[in-house]
Parts: sequence; C-alpha cells; structure tokens
Amino acid sequence: MSANLKRSLFIASFILPTFIVYCIFTVYPILRGIYISFTDWSGGSETMNFIGLDNYRELIHDPIIYKAAYNDYFIVFWKVIGIMLIATYFAVALTRLKIKGSAFYRIVFFFPNVISVVVIGVIWRFVYNPKLGILNSLLSFITGKPVETPWLGDSDYALWALLPPAIWAGIGFFMILLIAGIMSIPAPLYESAEIDGASQWKQFFHVTLPLLWEQLKVSVVLIVLTSLNGSFIIVSIMTYGGPDNATQVLGYRLFEKAFGTYQMGYASAVGVLILVLSLLTTVVMRWLMRRESVEVS
Amino acid sequence: MKWKTLLLFCAVLMLAASVSACGSNKNENSTPSSPAAETKSTESASTEPSNSGEAPVAELEGDFEIQYFVGGYGDAWWKSVIAQFKEKYPKLNIKESAGPKINDQMKPRWIQGDPPDVIYLDGAGSNARQQIEDGQLLDLTDWIKEAANIDGEKITDKLIGQPDLFDGKVYTLPLVFGSWGVFYDKALFTQNNWEVPTDFESFLTVSEKIKAAGISPLVHAGVYPGYLVGGVLNPAIVSANGDDASILVDIANAKEGVYKSEAVLKALGQLVTLRDKGYLDKSAIALNHTDSQIQFLQHKDAFIPNGLWLENEMKKDTPAGFSFGWLPSITQAPGGKYVAVPYTNAIAIAKKAKNPEAAKAFLQFIYTSKAAVEWAEKTGALMNLKIDLESANASEVSKAAAKFYSSDNIVVAPTFAYAGEMGKTIEDATIALIDGKITPEQWAERAEKQAATERSKAK
Repeated sequence: MSANLKRSLFIASFILPTFIVYCIFTVYPILRGIYISFTDWSGGSETMNFIGLDNYRELIHDPIIYKAAYNDYFIVFWKVIGIMLIATYFAVALTRLKIKGSAFYRIVFFFPNVISVVVIGVIWRFVYNPKLGILNSLLSFITGKPVETPWLGDSDYALWALLPPAIWAGIGFFMILLIAGIMSIPAPLYESAEIDGASQWKQFFHVTLPLLWEQLKVSVVLIVLTSLNGSFIIVSIMTYGGPDNATQVLGYRLFEKAFGTYQMGYASAVGVLILVLSLLTTVVMRWLMRRESVEVS
Repeated sequence: MKWKTLLLFCAVLMLAASVSACGSNKNENSTPSSPAAETKSTESASTEPSNSGEAPVAELEGDFEIQYFVGGYGDAWWKSVIAQFKEKYPKLNIKESAGPKINDQMKPRWIQGDPPDVIYLDGAGSNARQQIEDGQLLDLTDWIKEAANIDGEKITDKLIGQPDLFDGKVYTLPLVFGSWGVFYDKALFTQNNWEVPTDFESFLTVSEKIKAAGISPLVHAGVYPGYLVGGVLNPAIVSANGDDASILVDIANAKEGVYKSEAVLKALGQLVTLRDKGYLDKSAIALNHTDSQIQFLQHKDAFIPNGLWLENEMKKDTPAGFSFGWLPSITQAPGGKYVAVPYTNAIAIAKKAKNPEAAKAFLQFIYTSKAAVEWAEKTGALMNLKIDLESANASEVSKAAAKFYSSDNIVVAPTFAYAGEMGKTIEDATIALIDGKITPEQWAERAEKQAATERSKAK
C-alpha cells in the first residue's frame, strides 16, 4: 500500500460516514421530494402517476400560496428586526454596561430557548385569550373598561400577534451568540477608545459593531432560514393559518395539503417552493450584508 | 485526487439509489391490484355465509387482521367483541393493530399493498373518501344489499344512518352514529326562566334575554369553523331547502350553482342576523374547541354548536350542577322540523384483504343489537344501529338524541365528505362572513369558484 493510498483511505474514513449519512437523510429526501412534486401521489396510495408540471401550475394559480409567501416574509422581516435589535441590546448591556447580576439575566433571557416552541405557542394562546387571557385583563385594568379583543381571531391583528411569541422565543440564542462575539473582542480596544474619550455609543458603533459583523451576519441568515422553515410550528399551534388564511404560511399550507386533503404531490411542490425561496433569500441576504469583515490580528 | 473520485462515486451511488427507488414505485403501479390474486380464503369459508338469515356455520380459519384507532371511544368495546368473535371462530388467528397512532403506523403497509383485512376509519390520518379514491377499500355494494347479521336481521334495515355512496357504490359502513347540534345548560335555563328555543324565532327571542342578562348567547370554535358549519349552518341550509337534505351532498360534491342557491343564501342570512344582533360571541373566532367549550361551561356563553361527544369530552371540567341539553338545530322556521346533521366513523374491508370472508363475517358479527348496547355502555356514545337505549348505560345526551332520531319531527341528513378543499373553502368563507369581511353573495362566489376548481380536477 502506497503512502498516498493510505493517506486517501485515512481521509476517506473521516469523510465517508458523515457523507453517507448526509446523503441518506438530506440529499435523498430532497431528491425524493422533488420527484414526488411531479406526481399525483395522495400520500397513502400504492400508485403515483407522473403528471409533469401540473402541481406547479396549480401552485401558480393558488391565491393562498401568494398570501402565505407574503406572510412568511412579513414574519421574517419583523423577526429579524425584533430579534436583532433586542438580542444586540441585551448582549451589549450584559457585557459592556457592567450591570449587576448579568449572569442571572443571561440565564433568564435564555430561558425561552429551553422551552419547546409548542409550549410557547400554548402559553401565548392563553395570553391572547379574549375573555380569560392576561393581555386583555391588563388592558381592561389600564383603560378601565372591558377589553375583549380577539387578538388571534381578527384578521387585522392575528399576524402581528404571532410576532411577540416568535421574537420572544428567539432572542436568547442570538443573545448568547452575540455575547460570545463581544467577549472575543480584545479589551484593550475598548480601553484605548475610552482613553480617547469615545462614549458608549461611539464605542458601540466603531468597535463593537464592526468586530461583531460576522456574528450579526450569521444571526440574520439563521433567523431568516429558521423562520421560513419554522413558522409552521407557531402557526399550527396558535391559529391554524386562520382566520380566513390571515396567518397562513407556506409551511402550514404544505401541511394542510399533505395531511388535510391528501395531495402529497402538491404539498411536495410547496416544499420545493420553500426550498427555492430559502436558497434565494439566503443568497440575497449575504449579498446585502456583504462587507469586508474586520479581523483582529 | 483519489478521494475526489471516491466522493463522486458516492454521489453517483446515491443518485442511482434514489432513481431506482422511484423506479421501484413505478413497478408497483403496473402490478395488477386484483384482490383475488392475494385472497387466501379457505375452502369452507368460500360459501357465502348467512344470506339465508341464519348464523353462519361455515368455519373460518387463517390470519385475520383488524386495524382500529383508539381515541375517545377507547378500546374496551373492540377487545370485547373481538374476544367474542374469536370464541365463535376459534381457528381464526386474529391480529389487532390498534392504538392512537395506528393510522400513521399502518400507512406504509397500505402504501405497499399489504393492508389489514378490516379497518375502522377514525382519528387523525384516516380519511375514508381518500382511501376510496386511492382504490384501497372493497366494494360492498352487492354484499350489503343482502347481508344479514348473525341474528338473521338484514343489516341495512337496522342502520340509523345508511352507508355513504361514492359514485353510487358502497365502500364503508357507518359504525358510530352521532350528530351535530347546539348545546345549552338546562340548569342555567331553568334558573333564569329562559325558554328552550324550538325554532329560529324563539332562538332570537331567548338570545335577546340572555344578552340582557350579560351573557353572550352563542360561542363556537372559530379556529375550527367546522363546528359552526356543522351545528348551525348546515341544518339551516337543509331547513331553507324545504327539509331536503340532499343539498348537503351536492355542496360536498362541488355541484355547480348550489352555493348560489336560495336555500344557501337564506341560511347565510340567518348567520348574518346572528352576527348583526350581536348574538355570536365576538371572541369566538380566536378560540379553539377547548377554549370555546370552557367558556360555555363557565357560563360566559349560553349556547355552543358541538357534537354529541361534548359531554364525555368535558367530563373533568364540567362544574357541579351543569346539565347538558341538546338541540339538533336552531334555525328551522316556526313549526318546522328539526334537522340533525350526523357525523359518523365507518368501518370497511380492504380491497386487498387476505381474508375477506372473515372480514365480512366480522361485520355481520358486530352489527347486532347486543354489540350496539355494549357499544353504548362501553363508550357512552351511539352505534349506528336502531336499538332501545333506555335501559342501557349511555350518556343522558346520547339517550336524548336517540329519542330525537326516532321522532317524526326530525330530518336526519345523510353523512357526506367534502371533495378536495371544498370544506376548507366553506369554513374559511364562513369565518370571513361572521367577521363581517364578506357578504353572503361573496361567500357564494368564493365557494362556486372553488367548486369549479374541484370539478376541473376531478375530470
């Protein structure tokens, strides 16, 4: 056995197992999903007939799809803004502002991440409950007259009402990510900035932000991707896409079609659409956020 | 360089695997799906039992598998009747595939063409219409015409709700019988001297009184609009259609023009009346079934459209002194008949059943008065069989409902299953209607449009 072959085998022994598992659990399902999207499979029948692009034609003419895609991006947009603002604020506050008991707050803010999204959805359903919920009780107490707004039942508010739980659930993880980023910024940079008379604001904009850019970029892309794929959970717990599709998202539409009306082929086409949109969005986000990263050597 | 080749090799391997997987499915397509090819009926069993009206004497043997979902009705009844069936046919090797997730667990077997013999269609992941469309259920049309139970009674004579027809054929037998309707608390009504409504007029009158007392008249599960549609809208449509319930089947089957019909628009008008008079709880659109039921039990609302399972479902949360009352419908004109819109869970035989004779014998075994009384006692609900329940241990609401069904003053609608997304469209539009976002005419327009889509898909 030549040294070269030995080396190749050695490398392969590391790469192959992961690669095979990746192929079985990621590549194959994607290819299979794409194939099913060209069939009329119901999800339960023995037979599936190839029907070409029919499912995609139906997709284009499905008005609910456009609404769902809009809602998806609505949620993504506000989640990115909400989570990034609050997570960055908390991260800076807990590291730079020398708050007492910052370790305690770190744990408290991370808490929602430990709870399953399902539980979060159920908790917030109770918060929003029109007659028994804490939100309306609070509003009634403040305004002095009974408030019975059906937050999740009014098509004008329902989508907005999904944002607080979604944002609240996301902050902790990105806060920790950003805290780690800030901690890796060398202290002398801040010290010299302070000696030069830079205020906390200036320090934030000229030291923290540029050196944190990589983490911020990763955070935004992660939020975008997890929201496009994960809004399904919170929708399926809190509103079921209602009222009258006001909170419909692509993921839930896929679910409805696959397991509600048994059109697995069509549902797979929706899945492919989500895949394409996710990829496109990621590319666009990376392009928008391109900026030379500053590295501390 | 070499490991690059290796990677490439792997990629090709994976592609080949996925392609061949697709291919293997195509092969399945071409397999003739004749049940005869797989039937393994024993000689003695091949004589059609019990057409003569007598208990089958034929000996059944071999394997026999039953798939049943275990949900709100539990599995006590199944265990009991299966044990009795086994006693009658000791040579049968009976396998029970049961549980709350059984529909998902058995799905791969149905996809592979290796189904159980008998399936009870209930619970998430089960859909009779879909299985019929997928060609998985046995055509029972000719058999059920003559079939008698083991007591020698013709089964169709004993059924309360007749089997659904799919393209004129029978594939499933309704096993459970229940009905949508509107519930109220008898105690609350007595205490406040409110009259139980008998028609739409009296419903409006009593709702005004209820509202004046600071209680919201009608709550529903807005997140699942099926409750409002099943308990209020559908009976209203039947009443408006001169008590001809076949209109509901037309609605489910996406028939052209039915959504714009006078009957439908009149029924929608009744919903609008309820909305405009403020009798529909405004918060209801945000509520799921549990939320709405809890509000009803807490007397925040006086009426709730629901199914006959409500009393059992809320047993743990029902306050002391609460007494469930049930009306099949509230939308009929004064002097008009009540309308009961039923729901059902059916039982069927797989087209590829390996022991169809045993499967048929099992159906003949369970459609008896004895099994029906046992069902009522073990589940608190009604089996789809005409029996005298007075002595049985069924819930009070079930008994009251059984009395309604046997009276002359009621129209019992057929059961039906919506084509494609017809049901979702109707439910979404109904929510938009009671939310004041659309008019009845726009409701009709939406439904007609969806119906056109469903019809073009069916072609």
